[in-house]
Amino acid sequence: MFYYQLRNELWKLFGKKRTYIGFGICLLAEAINILLFRYAHNPRRYLVRHLELMGYSSDKYITNLTMATSVLVPVAFVLLPLYVALVGGDLMAKEAEDGTLRMILARPISRLRLVTIKWLAGAIFSILLALVLGGFGILFASFFFPSGGLFALLPLDGLFSIFNEAEGWQHYAAATLALSANAITIMGLAWMFSCCNVKPAAATILALSVVLTSRVIQEIPYFHDWQAWFITYHLSLWMRTFQQPVPLGDIAQSLSILLGFNFTFFIIGSSIFQMRDIKS
Amino acid sequence: MIHLQNVSKKFGQRLAVDDLTLLVPAGEIFGLLGHNGAGKSTAIGMMLGQVWPTAGDVKICGHDIAGSRKLALQKVGAIFEAPVFYDYLSGWRNLEILSHYTARCSPARIREVIAWVGLSGREKGAVRTYSHGMRARLALAQALLPQPELLILDEPGDGLDPEGIHEMRQTILRLRQELGLTILLSSHLLSEMELLCTRIAVMNQGRKVFEGAMAETRRTRGWVRLRTSNFAQAAALLREAGLIEQDRGEKFILPAGGIGTDQIVAHLVARQQAVFEIAPEEETLENFYLSLMRK
Repeated sequence: MFYYQLRNELWKLFGKKRTYIGFGICLLAEAINILLFRYAHNPRRYLVRHLELMGYSSDKYITNLTMATSVLVPVAFVLLPLYVALVGGDLMAKEAEDGTLRMILARPISRLRLVTIKWLAGAIFSILLALVLGGFGILFASFFFPSGGLFALLPLDGLFSIFNEAEGWQHYAAATLALSANAITIMGLAWMFSCCNVKPAAATILALSVVLTSRVIQEIPYFHDWQAWFITYHLSLWMRTFQQPVPLGDIAQSLSILLGFNFTFFIIGSSIFQMRDIKS
Repeated sequence: MIHLQNVSKKFGQRLAVDDLTLLVPAGEIFGLLGHNGAGKSTAIGMMLGQVWPTAGDVKICGHDIAGSRKLALQKVGAIFEAPVFYDYLSGWRNLEILSHYTARCSPARIREVIAWVGLSGREKGAVRTYSHGMRARLALAQALLPQPELLILDEPGDGLDPEGIHEMRQTILRLRQELGLTILLSSHLLSEMELLCTRIAVMNQGRKVFEGAMAETRRTRGWVRLRTSNFAQAAALLREAGLIEQDRGEKFILPAGGIGTDQIVAHLVARQQAVFEIAPEEETLENFYLSLMRK
């Protein structure tokens, strides 16, 4: 039964048009960014200047991998959290708001099982969105830029890395996979708020507020030494896959902490939902 | 089928249901009446394990809803006011999704139920294209899929037109006759409740103020409707003879203890009073309900 219930949850999720808004907007943002890099002078010159300052040939590193990575950064920072939070915030609260939750809970399904299949459906959506973003970015970039090495430039995080083509693909794939952990965690946070007696929009806004507040405080120089205490530091683990050498211990630590956060969100969300009265 | 024992529910400081004891025997169409906010929906929520009681025990089909929810709801179907579905999915898909929360349901069973509620041919269309009546039928179909023994209907006539209400009434009677279901019905439509229910309970401000057979609500309380050529004169003659205790409204008399309508008629006819009609006053559910609310 668990398989059928999860499949049904995915039917519900992917049957809604609003589920695809996230995919649509993220892909559009990536496409616009890549076209700007291709046809506008300034963004490309910015990359070329940094490459040449470091003594590398821009011809060799203005590639599909470099462009795909460059467009992934803004999308991963702004749009991905927004759309996974939107879906996570909808998962429980929208059913309660629409009244379908009462229909479901008139059936002999336990509340724990219900929240579990909902969380899993949200996690599948989050993984898919992260993978599609990574996949589409490299696909679209490949139409306009040659293949070659990867130049990862993230000035805010002090990251400047150069990889040959084979290494570049590995790092790009690892970043896309690690981005899934980021997406699942933000979705799980919104899902937790969605288990409370709130409107779907409120759950989404609360989750985004937590992420943004954490990010803002983390970026204040005074808190720099404490940044490992902030969730956003660990949500950025995907960017650390571009470091040379890859800080595997640091990434494993962030993954474990994110796992802990997800577990905590799940326990809190499911406990709140278990105690709640479901009324019309 | 349903047994609530001293059940109470508080939302913050507000007592929504106060010490409610209710017994719905198998085979009944049991009506739950009350004004808005009387606690009917909260009581139904507690029966379905959607609302946690502050005190008391709720048993459905012999199983405690808090401890054995799965067993308790295995043979229960429910319909709520203004049926809502996943509008962007087809009726068929909605039925599949909702039935899987109980148990796996075969396509043959879904087809059978769709035919029973009269939705054949429309099941593949998106629910957003359904009329209110079709949604009501789909709601019934989802409730019937797990082959329930108990059906809980919370305001099922809400928003239906007169034809829809008539259809709903016929359907509820069919459910009892053809499928032998026990039905708990909560509604504001007193006339419908009067036509359908075999027993009722009335709630007022969270408390049960009446529970009994529908026949009890129609009890005459002794008043008799009398139509004569001159009611005032007839009433005076009857009072003089000590045959009645009271009269009211140019229409009703209250016979004295042990006096039958035959004696009243004989007395009036013997005194040249034409008697056109004499019959026990039968109280409507509406009058009965309003008298309970005034107490």
